[in-house]
Amino acid sequence: MTHYELLFVIKPTHTQEEIDAHIANVKASIEKDGGVIAATQNMGMRKLAYEVEKHNRGYYTAYYFTAKPATIIEVERLIRINESILKFMTVKYAKKKEIIAWETAVKRLNNPHSAKEEAVAPKVEVAPEATADSEA
Amino acid sequence: MAEKRKYKKRYCKYCETKTDYIDFKNVSSFKFSLSERFKIMPRRLTGNCKRHQDMVTIAIKRARQTAMIPYIVDRQNVVTNPFEGL
Repeated sequence: MTHYELLFVIKPTHTQEEIDAHIANVKASIEKDGGVIAATQNMGMRKLAYEVEKHNRGYYTAYYFTAKPATIIEVERLIRINESILKFMTVKYAKKKEIIAWETAVKRLNNPHSAKEEAVAPKVEVAPEATADSEA
Repeated sequence: MAEKRKYKKRYCKYCETKTDYIDFKNVSSFKFSLSERFKIMPRRLTGNCKRHQDMVTIAIKRARQTAMIPYIVDRQNVVTNPFEGL
């Protein structure tokens, strides 16, 4: 079992129920072949940095999970077929330090305190220099 | 004797906080490594060490692929506030 993170963006034209259904679909495809989802990061509707298939916004969701490498091929195949998913990215956490980072991210997301971190991320930043010191 | 230093001494901001992994979803964590036009800033300007610059580069490229930050900011597609919603 390998540690993975899967981020995907759903089209903004769908209703909330349809979005939830698509998210559930991806979740089912991960769990079908013995994958275990450790944490979910729901980033919500965000503005895209550039136009993707004529859309300017997208619904971001990220899954942290462990699965066999073969599962990823199947999950990505299904995502490519699904026209409602604009973008996706699978990240493998292989090195020891990366796995520690993966575990801390999971802990942070499963912890109720994590709401603070997620609220900060989509905040509007005006001056790039100003963030340098605070975020380091 | 030595020429007077024009800028203050640079140091790696990630080494200071002992960062082991930079999450590409958290754009504000690598914002200062991006120029106004969202190019990756060179190490000689940000002061990042080699190890962390490699991490920043990977995080930025992943963020670009997932439409978190733009690839380019050009004059053809003028955006009123490119930092909005990041």
